[in-house]
Amino acid sequence: MNKSPLIQIKDLEVVKNGRTICSVPEILVNEGQRLACIGKNGSGKSTFLRVLAGFEKDCLGMCKISVPQKERVYVHQSPYLFRGSVLFNVKYGLRARRYSHRTSEKFALQWLEALGVEDLAGRPVHELSGGEKQRVALARAFSLEPRLLLLDEPLSELDESGSASCLETIIKLVDSTIIVASPSPLPSVQGLDMETYLLKDRTENLH
Amino acid sequence: MELIWDSLRQALHMIFTADPTVLDAGFRSLWISGIAVTGAGVVGLPLGALLARVRFPARRILITLFRAGMSVPTVFIGLLCFAFFERHGPLGPYDLLFTPGAIVAGEFMLALPLIVTISHGAIEALDPRVAETAKSLGAGLVMRWLTYLSEAKTGILVAMMTAFARCVTELGIAMMVGGNIKERTQTLATAAALETGQGEFARGLAMGLILLLIAMIVTVLIIFLGREDE
Repeated sequence: MNKSPLIQIKDLEVVKNGRTICSVPEILVNEGQRLACIGKNGSGKSTFLRVLAGFEKDCLGMCKISVPQKERVYVHQSPYLFRGSVLFNVKYGLRARRYSHRTSEKFALQWLEALGVEDLAGRPVHELSGGEKQRVALARAFSLEPRLLLLDEPLSELDESGSASCLETIIKLVDSTIIVASPSPLPSVQGLDMETYLLKDRTENLH
Repeated sequence: MELIWDSLRQALHMIFTADPTVLDAGFRSLWISGIAVTGAGVVGLPLGALLARVRFPARRILITLFRAGMSVPTVFIGLLCFAFFERHGPLGPYDLLFTPGAIVAGEFMLALPLIVTISHGAIEALDPRVAETAKSLGAGLVMRWLTYLSEAKTGILVAMMTAFARCVTELGIAMMVGGNIKERTQTLATAAALETGQGEFARGLAMGLILLLIAMIVTVLIIFLGREDE
């Protein structure tokens, strides 16, 4: 039986103030697929991810996403952490999904450990560095194991070891469809099978 | 200048000797303003958040009305309350005129526009990623709104403290609908006015200085809470 794609995009355009800020001619993403959208600054990568996240409503063309909004998680290029501790932040989404305090704390610590920042659990977020914030935000998103995970330049603030642990952790999310926006191809990691979609400019795209 | 020093000495003497008039009026001022500001917070904070987060037709008009409400003189609010609470007014049968309840109602009206306007500004100024992150992490409506309030905590505390400082030091409402009845509705501000009216200028000024002290403590708290996360 042929399963229909999770995401179907055709002639997608996002226009703001009369200017096209994102243009994607065609793209199909299947369940469980990992896709890296590569493009220069201003090529519309972030906007494309925001469309997929459901944050950009004014778009033209076909954009079919068969994942309910609740099962999509989007991580900003410069993630926002709520006031409070690191643990509070990672537990936030789990608590929203009605996990008990105990279970959400257990999961939160597991994912913080996976990203190598478990020792930050009790720290207030305003004391973290940019890279630490990014790792915490990734742990927060990964802990939910969403059906569709959208990561906007997740490695931008990370050093080599941070990038490696991020990509290695992505492999663990076996059931998630993951789309990553990045200005350059992601470092290759064994076991991470990631296809590339090149957002060339706003008029021409290659698959 | 000597009068001010005398008053200051008298103010300290009144505080340290627990002057019954000061204690009675001081506690009354604090609890009346406390209840009024708590009530205004319960109503005003969700309203401020609503005006900041939800777009609806009358939104701009409401924002303007609440902003304008911040500059309404307390005497006018007092008059309005008087009209409502007096024997033939719409709330006359409840017999609230010249009771602390009437002052609470008036100070609630004084505090509400302040709390709505300041909290609206604080929540509207939040980073747009707050809403997106909360939504993306699956927070429901209630959790999202609690997140907005928590993220705008400093602004909200400033709103509450400003409203409290304004209420505890106001004179018009307490005089109009409280009637300055000793041991029943007298607040520090009305007591200060009464003492001055009776020629006890030093005592009046001393009470004014105690009011100033309360306002200054609240201001210091605002500054302290505002710096908490820096």
